[in-house]
Amino acid sequence: MGLYRVVAVVSYRRGLKDPEAETIYRDLILRHGYSAVKEVRVGKQFTLLVEAESPERAVNYVKEICDKLMIYNPVIHELYVTIHA
Amino acid sequence: MPLSREEIEEIKSILSREPTLEELAMFEAQWSEHCSYKSSRRLLRLLPTAGRNVLIGPGRDAPAVEVFPGVAVVFKIESHNHPSAVDPYNGAATGIGGIVRDILTLGAKPIALLDMLYLGDLRDSRAKWLAKGIVKGISDYGNRIGIPTVAGDTWFDSSFNTQPLVNVACVGIAKTEELVRDRPAPRDAILVIGNPTGRDGLLGSSFASKPLSDNPSEDIGAVQVADPLMEKILIDSILELARKKLVKFVKDLGGGGLTTAVAEVAADFDLGAELRLDRLHLRTELTPLEILVSESQERMMLVVDKEKLADVVAVLEKYDVPRSLIGFFDGSGRIKAYYENKLVADIPAKELAKPRDIWRLSRPPVELVKLLNPVSDIPVVSVAEALDSLLSSPNIASKKWIYEQYDHEVGIRTILKPGFGDAAVLRLDTGDRRGIAVKGDANPRYTAIDPFNGAANSVAECYRNLVAVGSTPVAFVDEPNAGNPEKLEHFWYFEMMVKGIAWMTNELGIPVVGGKVSFYNEDYRGRQVKPTATIVGVGAIEDVGRVKSIDLKHEGSTILVVGTTYPELGGTEYLARVHGIEAGGVPTPRPSSELRNASYIAKLIDDEIALSVHDIGLGGLAVAIAEMAVLSDIGVEIDIEKIPHRGCSRLDEILFSETQARYFIEVKPERVEKALELASALGTTAAVVAKTTGRKFYTVKLGSITVIEKHLDYLRELHEESLRKTMV
Repeated sequence: MGLYRVVAVVSYRRGLKDPEAETIYRDLILRHGYSAVKEVRVGKQFTLLVEAESPERAVNYVKEICDKLMIYNPVIHELYVTIHA
Repeated sequence: MPLSREEIEEIKSILSREPTLEELAMFEAQWSEHCSYKSSRRLLRLLPTAGRNVLIGPGRDAPAVEVFPGVAVVFKIESHNHPSAVDPYNGAATGIGGIVRDILTLGAKPIALLDMLYLGDLRDSRAKWLAKGIVKGISDYGNRIGIPTVAGDTWFDSSFNTQPLVNVACVGIAKTEELVRDRPAPRDAILVIGNPTGRDGLLGSSFASKPLSDNPSEDIGAVQVADPLMEKILIDSILELARKKLVKFVKDLGGGGLTTAVAEVAADFDLGAELRLDRLHLRTELTPLEILVSESQERMMLVVDKEKLADVVAVLEKYDVPRSLIGFFDGSGRIKAYYENKLVADIPAKELAKPRDIWRLSRPPVELVKLLNPVSDIPVVSVAEALDSLLSSPNIASKKWIYEQYDHEVGIRTILKPGFGDAAVLRLDTGDRRGIAVKGDANPRYTAIDPFNGAANSVAECYRNLVAVGSTPVAFVDEPNAGNPEKLEHFWYFEMMVKGIAWMTNELGIPVVGGKVSFYNEDYRGRQVKPTATIVGVGAIEDVGRVKSIDLKHEGSTILVVGTTYPELGGTEYLARVHGIEAGGVPTPRPSSELRNASYIAKLIDDEIALSVHDIGLGGLAVAIAEMAVLSDIGVEIDIEKIPHRGCSRLDEILFSETQARYFIEVKPERVEKALELASALGTTAAVVAKTTGRKFYTVKLGSITVIEKHLDYLRELHEESLRKTMV
């Protein structure tokens, strides 16, 4: 068993509008001249400290949490779960 | 709903050729139930829509009524049931966005929102997730655009577990002469303003015109993300354009997108239009077909006289509103859409905008008889325990958990706070004491048992709520939410709801100036949700200083009940919550008693006799008087023997019957005689039944016997905390 820091990021699925990101991109980033930035996406990040046998299990455990507890809506969101290095 | 084979044949004969793909998509969007009302129009003609206060009736994006000379109220209802079932947060939020834009199309300033939510059983995890998302979506959007949510209606029932009903209404005000209602003419410019168009909501109206698939992830095309900041600049810029009289006509790009907006205006004003689709501002690259039917949110169409184009653009620039000049109206009667100089669609506007009525057959379901059979042998239960059970019922318990998430006081117009009045009361901008009352109501259980009488009772409930605060009802808008119109038994509910609304509004002499229809409210197994007739009403108030709240005002007051109580337990909250029975017919609508009793209440308020007024609705009089006591922390003692009734033989019949046309009023003891005199002069039944006390108890007596006695703190806890406890 080990302790793993697992990061889950929920953001709007690609192709859907992301008004918050668009506002940040247009009114903050571009307005201040950072024109090398081509796109911004915004999401919500959860960091969980999980006890598990392996990093894979820790990731799957967190995925299950996000699904079962309806942390995100698969119709509109994408979920990205990874081990915090 | 994809086009039927007959419809495709009809399209071919309209065009005298094979349609292009773009044209087919346009027909599919516009001929969807959602946009065209093809199944419902015939029945909607039964509604009384005219009246001396009606400035603009059904047909535009929103109707307008003149509540006072020179002061117009624009209000409308809309459903976002299907989007909310797959994405509760954005589905509900974009519903708010849509209804606000409908109000804006007349140049009216949106001042209040109402939300009528028919949600699932909160013990079901999906239903609860939907409920939370819906409330959050409404509150975030409403708060961000700065429009308070002031009133509504909330109901919980397991039939809504996967398909909730999200009905939202918006109220706006304008000076009558500033309403935007010119006639678009040939050579007028067509501007599309607001969000860049994306692939979102492709054929969303078509999506709302069919049942949900069993895998909601497949319905991705219909999902739209709400953008309240864009909505806010649309509001600000359009109000300025309207005030400066720079636009001739405004239309929301809602269901059916660009196609519907252009087709309907062209058809209504005998025009045609030439569109350059490649000029529209886009979020991602789109095909001409997608441009024509995308339902991206927060977009509007402006019709502008060429001469004023530069002034309009200057205002839009000031607010940073994205915009495109996409074409012009002409006198051709045809919608011609070009993409990079290629003609992709060429359709006669009238035929596109108004498909032929579909004559839907209907048939009452055979099981219905069981629901209409009078319920007999109801077991005798403790009425004291029944009262607890009713006050904690999510349908009756305080909706604090919901409205506390809403900023209901933005704009400082709100005179009566949510929970304190039977209707919300708002101040107008007229610089005097005039105001309006607004309220939305429905009872899904009534309409599921008896759609005609149930819908009539929704109208009556809304009417009483407007009367109880001291307003004069002026107009209604309606939203029947029904099942699949292709199913005879589902369509029957719709038909009977419309007829019930038409009958009752006609009897009360109040027009239905607009509304919306929602079909296909069924789950993936094809079961329809409880069909629901939602009614929103507006009333005029001469002096907002005189409005009446429901909380008791003084110790030592006298309480009168207005109206006769009948043994009508069928369809009541009591029968459902305490006995688990949803049957037995519904309380009889009583339009002539409504009118008589309403004029009595109005007189009592005018003569400053009434201190507080509460309509008797869900849960009957035992619940109504408990609400008055709990809100004020003033004790009451009511004597059942004094309640005027006819034919009641049991305590529960008197306490929990939901007989229509009844109110409680609180009166100072020295004015009681006058109140009773007025009642007999008007032919109204009114009787002294209770008094307020210095003890913090709720007491029900039968002569000298105490039937119920509870501490107010105990009842308040039940009433105020039950819903919150279920939600968290």
